[in-house]
Amino acid sequence: MLDVALILIAACSWIAAALLSLNPRSDERWSRWLGIIGSILASASAVHVLASGAISRLEFPFWRGAARLEMDGLSAAFLLPLHLVAGLGVVYGKAYWPLNLPKGAGRSLRFQYGLLVAAMSMLFVARHGLLFLLAWELMAISAFLLIATDHETPEVRRASWVYLVSTHTGTALLTAMVILLAHRNGGLLWLPLPAGNSPGLDAWILLLAIAGFSFKAGLLPLHFWLPSAHASAPSHVSAILSAVMLKTGIYGILRVSALLPSIPWGFGSALLALGALSAVYGVGNALAQRDYKRLLAYSSIENLGIIAMGVGLGLSGRANHDPWLVALGFGGAIFHVWNHAIFKSLLFFGAGSILHATGTRDMEALGGLASRMPRTALLMFPAVLAVSALPPFNAFLSEWFLYRGIFSSLTRGYPWSAAMALVALAFTGGLAAAAFAKFYGILFLGSPRSPVAEHAHDPPRAMLLPMAALACLSLGTGLAGVLLLPCLDRVVAVVAPGSAAMLALGLRADMRLLVGAEALLLVCGLLAFLWWRRSGSSPMSEGPRPPTWDCGYAVAVPRAEYSGSSFSDAWAPLQLGLKARIRPITAIFPNPAVFRSEFRDVVGEMILGPRMERLAVRLLRFRGLQPGYLSIYILYVLLALLGAFLWMFLRGRLLG
Amino acid sequence: MSPDFLIALILLSNFTLVATSRVNKAIQIAVIQGVLLGLIPLAMGLGRHPHILFMVAAAITVKGWLIPFLLRRAIKEVQIHREVDPYIGYTVSLMLCALGTGLSLILAHVLPLKGGTQVILLVPAALATLFTGFLMLVSRRKALTQVVGYLILENGIYLFGLLLVEDMPMLVETGILLDLFVGVFVMGIVINHIRTAFDSTDTRHLAELKD
Repeated sequence: MLDVALILIAACSWIAAALLSLNPRSDERWSRWLGIIGSILASASAVHVLASGAISRLEFPFWRGAARLEMDGLSAAFLLPLHLVAGLGVVYGKAYWPLNLPKGAGRSLRFQYGLLVAAMSMLFVARHGLLFLLAWELMAISAFLLIATDHETPEVRRASWVYLVSTHTGTALLTAMVILLAHRNGGLLWLPLPAGNSPGLDAWILLLAIAGFSFKAGLLPLHFWLPSAHASAPSHVSAILSAVMLKTGIYGILRVSALLPSIPWGFGSALLALGALSAVYGVGNALAQRDYKRLLAYSSIENLGIIAMGVGLGLSGRANHDPWLVALGFGGAIFHVWNHAIFKSLLFFGAGSILHATGTRDMEALGGLASRMPRTALLMFPAVLAVSALPPFNAFLSEWFLYRGIFSSLTRGYPWSAAMALVALAFTGGLAAAAFAKFYGILFLGSPRSPVAEHAHDPPRAMLLPMAALACLSLGTGLAGVLLLPCLDRVVAVVAPGSAAMLALGLRADMRLLVGAEALLLVCGLLAFLWWRRSGSSPMSEGPRPPTWDCGYAVAVPRAEYSGSSFSDAWAPLQLGLKARIRPITAIFPNPAVFRSEFRDVVGEMILGPRMERLAVRLLRFRGLQPGYLSIYILYVLLALLGAFLWMFLRGRLLG
Repeated sequence: MSPDFLIALILLSNFTLVATSRVNKAIQIAVIQGVLLGLIPLAMGLGRHPHILFMVAAAITVKGWLIPFLLRRAIKEVQIHREVDPYIGYTVSLMLCALGTGLSLILAHVLPLKGGTQVILLVPAALATLFTGFLMLVSRRKALTQVVGYLILENGIYLFGLLLVEDMPMLVETGILLDLFVGVFVMGIVINHIRTAFDSTDTRHLAELKD
């Protein structure tokens, strides 16, 4: 009761913050503090639930029936990252998108932001079909308006429309799912379903849920809205979209599957394969991007793919009654949800700082930022390591769970999907490291490729502080993974009812070993650094800083530097959307040589885009029905009326 | 006076309306029709209910005085006296109106209505008036005559409402009247704006606003 009440208060305070920020006379500080207080309350409640495993619920009459808000481990597992990122995002947004900016509407941005957070808070505690859909829709629409914040740009408008259409397609599927669920359950309340005699219906429910929720989660064929939407939104909004809103899809799949008495055969492997495909596709395309926010968005597809792999593993464990696999799969997925929320919001905050300082999203125009934005560079480094799943940062541990799960499923006789997933996961990790080497290398190292990069500077403290908090969390979660195992067990117990707590026992030895190794590594690194500082009365410390070493050439020409394309060139066959045009040098006195590359998303822009445009042209024919004359419209009404009369007249005759 | 007689007069006024080309005359007939409608509850012998009496008074005031006043003012402002070239000519309109009236007689027969009303012509007349209103709206070009069509349409709805007059709360009736008044009021303003924007009150020009 108390925990749910706290969440409700948090949601109300976010709504109040949203409303307050609309009032032009009110001080912005108030609404910011309201939001932060809401986040602290909600986080406290989520931590309490995770630490104690208590379930609290609130029932109230709603629409000719009872509705229920319930706070259990699974809700808490998603509410915690939501309110962490939302609270930090408010602090960040203060400096990133000030109220008095000439472009864009700072007020509407703050309003929608509060609304989005409140809607998602309600979404995670709603246990009633209609309530869930309402919260879902509120979330979708406020996210749409947030993406369209910078709506003066046509590209942003287009991105937000594509998002709106795809989210509503997903909602249509989810509505069907809710109806089927209500049919199966005899009411809109989401209670655990009794074991029924209609496995077909259960399979349909799960299928619709996976299809509808993958639109939000950005799994492979339904990801096309994601990159441009995330690239277009203001950076702290991209952070919350990527860190939490995409996860609502995962939450939905977990929640609905937890309601079902048993998982139909094949869903686990299919989701595992889908996740593996998304991961490889996402990271392959991330490598190809020039726009660093788009790169991060593609990396979100990759990470959601990894999470989906965990969910798939857990589902196949449930279908085969294998509690160890269930624990590893669901536990790994939830853990990766947390980790991804931490490092991806850090990355987006960092990307926002760079955008704030330079005003461009083009990597090839930047470079050498490490010496101009040293704090940002330092804070981004943990995130880059974490996203590549390197120790001692957090994502390393969650991927460890998945590796363990896949290996154990290999030994237990579901080899094909597991073998494929293993290869895909390893491949993804490697490519992610390459993509983020490119990201960090091109942005921060080398020398500036354009004047905007030359005059970049660190952002104000309000933007650095949230990043610092996230960086510490990323390292802290990596080092304190052992302590989280019991919490994960509690969440898994909600996702897979009736499974025993196995993570705390089974993985303790692993985690201790890993954390010990990580700590050793850190200490060694720290010692080495201190030794280098002490011994090195290096020339670096005196005089002006020399330019980046450039292969012995005396005059550094930024144009001759490594570019982003040089990083990703080797992987070009993997990047189906990348088209390169080269005019090679042929003669002794050659024409100017040209290299041009262009990226288009395979599903969204190469397959769906042209088809949609053709469809739109075809649908133009129906414009003839709208001539603009009032009389014609009234004629339509009259014809409809006459038709209705005629139907009534004939119905008796025809049907007897 | 029996209500059937009044209803017959209303039907006749429908025909006259469709066949007339003068705007002024059309308004006059609409006024007559409105007043006749207002009198029907009295003719049905419902004068003993105070709320019906109030409704009669309100209907006659709004339809017999307020709306024609607004329309005449609009005529004075825009200086339009004739509907010159309607989409559907007067003869054809008349025939369509007759067809519609015949159809309404048949339809009223088929409609699954609750029995109990003594006035047999009420439902067919309501449908016929509705149809006439639609016909006016569709076939006329000038905004003013379209407003008259809208009035007739509302009259049809009102007539239909009389079926339930004893049960219908006053609020609904006054709601309809208010709706009508606001509709005519707004259209009066719109007519003036159409004229200033396009130099004519021909609604064809509104098609230019299409996206």
